[in-house]
Amino acid sequence: MKRYFIIISALLIGLSHSAFAGGSTASPQRIISLAPNTTEILFALGLSNRIVGVTTFCDYPQEAKAKPKIGGMSNPSLEAVVSLKPDLVVATTDGNPKEFVERLNSLNIKTFVFTARRLRELPHGIRELGAVVGAYQEAVKLADGIEKAIEMHGRGVRGQGSGDKGQGSGTSKKVLFIVWPEPLIVAGPGTAMDDAIALLGYENIAHGAATAYPKYSIEEVLRRAPDVLFIGKATGMDMREVSQGFLKRLSLVPAVRNNKICYVSDNLYRLAPRVVRGIEELAECLK
Amino acid sequence: MRIFILVFVALFIFCCALFLGPQIIAPGPLSTIEREILFSIRLPRVLVAMLMGMALGASGAVLQGILRNPLADPYILGISSGASLTAALGIIGGMSFLGSFTVPVLAFVGALVTGGIVGMMGWKRGGLWPERLLLAGVGLSFLFSALLMLMMSISTDEGLRRAMLWIFGDLSMSEWSRIPWGLAFVVIGIVLSATRARALNALILGDEFAHSLGFSPQRERFILFVSVGLLTAASVSLGGMIGFIGLLIPHIMRFFMGSDSRMLIPASALGGGSLLCIADLVSRSVLPPMELPAGVVTAIIGAPYFLYLLRKKDVLSI
Repeated sequence: MKRYFIIISALLIGLSHSAFAGGSTASPQRIISLAPNTTEILFALGLSNRIVGVTTFCDYPQEAKAKPKIGGMSNPSLEAVVSLKPDLVVATTDGNPKEFVERLNSLNIKTFVFTARRLRELPHGIRELGAVVGAYQEAVKLADGIEKAIEMHGRGVRGQGSGDKGQGSGTSKKVLFIVWPEPLIVAGPGTAMDDAIALLGYENIAHGAATAYPKYSIEEVLRRAPDVLFIGKATGMDMREVSQGFLKRLSLVPAVRNNKICYVSDNLYRLAPRVVRGIEELAECLK
Repeated sequence: MRIFILVFVALFIFCCALFLGPQIIAPGPLSTIEREILFSIRLPRVLVAMLMGMALGASGAVLQGILRNPLADPYILGISSGASLTAALGIIGGMSFLGSFTVPVLAFVGALVTGGIVGMMGWKRGGLWPERLLLAGVGLSFLFSALLMLMMSISTDEGLRRAMLWIFGDLSMSEWSRIPWGLAFVVIGIVLSATRARALNALILGDEFAHSLGFSPQRERFILFVSVGLLTAASVSLGGMIGFIGLLIPHIMRFFMGSDSRMLIPASALGGGSLLCIADLVSRSVLPPMELPAGVVTAIIGAPYFLYLLRKKDVLSI
């Protein structure tokens, strides 16, 4: 685990150096964000009046909706971006095409690529982004808060876990985070949900799946018998109603039998400061 | 004789699809979980695969006959594009006025309305004309696909991926409640077209010929068109779009059974059902616990086999 962090931070440091290399010293005043999570981070850093463009997916916080749109995440409009005369474009490795960033660079538009994808990489990513946009103090504060929250949730588990260590990790409760019930799409490896579940000391039964958001087999849910089911929120939908039929089919699963079904928000869907609240929601439900 | 072999093969494949999978369920004493999986999850799913495949195979065979075109398939008439459009509207728009029946019903209505429009476009001088039907279908199909793409490209909702999964064929949602409806429409469609098989044989040879044999070409064509519409609508609303079966299963069956529609329609139904059952079995077994879209697997299994037959045999006609 430790080695993993060292490698990741080494990579991130390398990247951040390359990001700084071409930059000027003045902090950017016209920022475009190409992903909803970086938009949320920029707003959380208090940069709302320096953000001049966001994607059509950026719907949080409320003010983000009022910003000029530059297109989708996978298909941003180059013209729209250029016409807003940005002095910094923030992209992610998770959703933006690499070619788009290269194209911007070739047009001499400064870019910053946000590379964090996992829960534990988020604080570092925020600090880096903060340094580039000239809001380092705020970023450190925000990142430290998130780090502390992650630490706290993780520590609670370790304390509890050492008690029944004798039984091994196989006894940890099994959970499943459902993104959509029909067809069944769940949170798999590499998602913030998966990280949060592991952090809280539980086992995500979809952890071994091949992709981040696999279409999951209902048979397997029955067989792996999760003790708790999380059902995430989709905009404008009543998830209780949507998942009714699905849960009826899972009546033999312990989570359904014991009514351990938690309807949670979409706080964990994006790697942004809101994940802290997302982890709290899961922890609250697992108590 | 050959049709009995096909029935036997279809039954065998049905059982394989039921008991095999990422986890094999051995017949014998079953645990509660295994019984639940077998009866509440696998059985309806395999039944839906069989019904959809049968509907697609049979309607493909009929449609290639009435349009006198070896490239015709149930999707060429735009029926499936219409169904996808209404289904995607329902999914992306988050409609749930009929619970879990919402999307299947929307798809069914979309399919029937599209079928009706194609029929109206193809209607001239008191009857349906194959060329007109085909062109009207292709035109509508383009229009609806474009509208669908438009809707998907402006949709910012997470419904997008769900809509894609639905459109590319999804059998994981199969439940018992859908089966009576599906069964009714598929049986009506297949029986209707099978009883008109002799007329279809005559229509393939030309309207004058059919007329001289005592069939009313326009009336027969209309009945057959309605049965194709019902079959396609039922299959799309059961599980989305599955390509390949409607187009190529009738050709594969012609290699074995000849072109007599009386044999070809039931044979294509059985062949289509069997292929979709195998494809679904593969799609849930190769990367467990993940499931692949059944439509993709169908074409990956079916197309090489078809090409192999094409090289080996030298007849290809409708």
